[in-house]
Amino acid sequence: MPLFNTEAIVLRSINLSETDKLVTFLSAHFGKVKCVAKAARKMKNRFGAALEPMSHIRLIYFGKENQTLYRLNHSDIIHSFQPIRDDLLKVYTGIYFNELIDTLIPEAHPDPKAYQLLLESLLVLESRDSLETLSRLFEMRLMVLTGYTPQLSHCSICKGLPGTERIGFSFERRGIVCEPCSFKAQPEMRFQAGTLNYLKKLKTMDIKHASRLKFPKSAELEIEQLTHRLILSYTGRELKSYPFIKNMAKIMDTKL
Amino acid sequence: MKRPPAVTDLIEELKRMPGIGQKTAERLSFFVMRGSNERANKLADAVRNIKEKIILCSQCHGITEINPCEICRDPKRDPSIVCVVEEPHDVYAMENMGHFRGVYHVLMGVISPLDGIGPSELTIEALKERVMKDNIQEVVLATNPDMEGESTAVYIAKILKPANIKVTRIARGLPVGGDIEYADEVTLLKSLEGRTEMN
Repeated sequence: MPLFNTEAIVLRSINLSETDKLVTFLSAHFGKVKCVAKAARKMKNRFGAALEPMSHIRLIYFGKENQTLYRLNHSDIIHSFQPIRDDLLKVYTGIYFNELIDTLIPEAHPDPKAYQLLLESLLVLESRDSLETLSRLFEMRLMVLTGYTPQLSHCSICKGLPGTERIGFSFERRGIVCEPCSFKAQPEMRFQAGTLNYLKKLKTMDIKHASRLKFPKSAELEIEQLTHRLILSYTGRELKSYPFIKNMAKIMDTKL
Repeated sequence: MKRPPAVTDLIEELKRMPGIGQKTAERLSFFVMRGSNERANKLADAVRNIKEKIILCSQCHGITEINPCEICRDPKRDPSIVCVVEEPHDVYAMENMGHFRGVYHVLMGVISPLDGIGPSELTIEALKERVMKDNIQEVVLATNPDMEGESTAVYIAKILKPANIKVTRIARGLPVGGDIEYADEVTLLKSLEGRTEMN
């Protein structure tokens, strides 16, 4: 039975039976992998804190190739992202990143770029306070990497250039729609021309340079609405952590 | 040959329980079948009673047959110290230790974004009311040392800050009988952060 040795990031860890855990990883070499960690819930387990979500670890697992569930053999922490865990909103933003990856990346399809994106995003999240812009950048970069890039440079119907005022966007066409074509595909959303420039920037910007990114308040809301609805149109369902973060941010604003 | 429906029914019901698979369920079913009627009735009564008699304590949300529960009614207990735990069975784990003389508050879960459990699904508001009303001096947060448990503890600590009481977290780190050599960096860090002075 082959033994697999790779670096990975823990996406999710759920309890399985009395003492085991079912852990989902995004590995550097083998894509998304699910492993059973035997006795991981026991106090003196051999995995320690390595199976906590967002941990960057080196793991060894085994099983037949192309099976859906492997057995975890060994895990060592490379980086635990402790500063994220000390801040509630950072924790929930990290969980949102993990859920997005878990939803958009299929199992057993090696995707080193997505792995690198998640790792770099968590490193930025650790040191950065502007979580909203980082989240938007992560969403757009992940959509680009997974083949869900929205068409922003020209009209998705006639290939013509967009207008200079309010820009229409069709989620069905997954791209902008110019004014003359808007009778063929009714735009479900309209945003300012300035917002389009920020969206284009999000598509190409390296996540490591997230600190350079700043949106005006009006564009921030439009960008969030667009990326959120785009993700919804690809996944077909609302991610659980997205409304949760919004709700928690509201609670923490009012109560704390 | 098919099993009689009564046996199949019992096997199916037992299989729903955690940690019980087909073989174990079969073994248990045949054990009940071979045993005396009295023993089977006792088992049936015990299962029925747990659903009919067990209620949640109105103060601590732990399980009890009489409201308030035995711990909340005990005059020897110190009601000014409240230990916050995730689930009712955690109360018994703490009680088995035999050293805690305060009272408890059961959250009935933890904040978990991926399961859609927010603060309003737990008994956090009831805890806050208890702290404001019952002259509580210390709240000990004894949620599990995992991501959900930690973030729930951080949230409760923040929410109780205006009450101006002592909020403590149970120590995290090396288990007794463990070996430093095999501890991971997070466990070691937590044990170092939670170190105590030796007199």
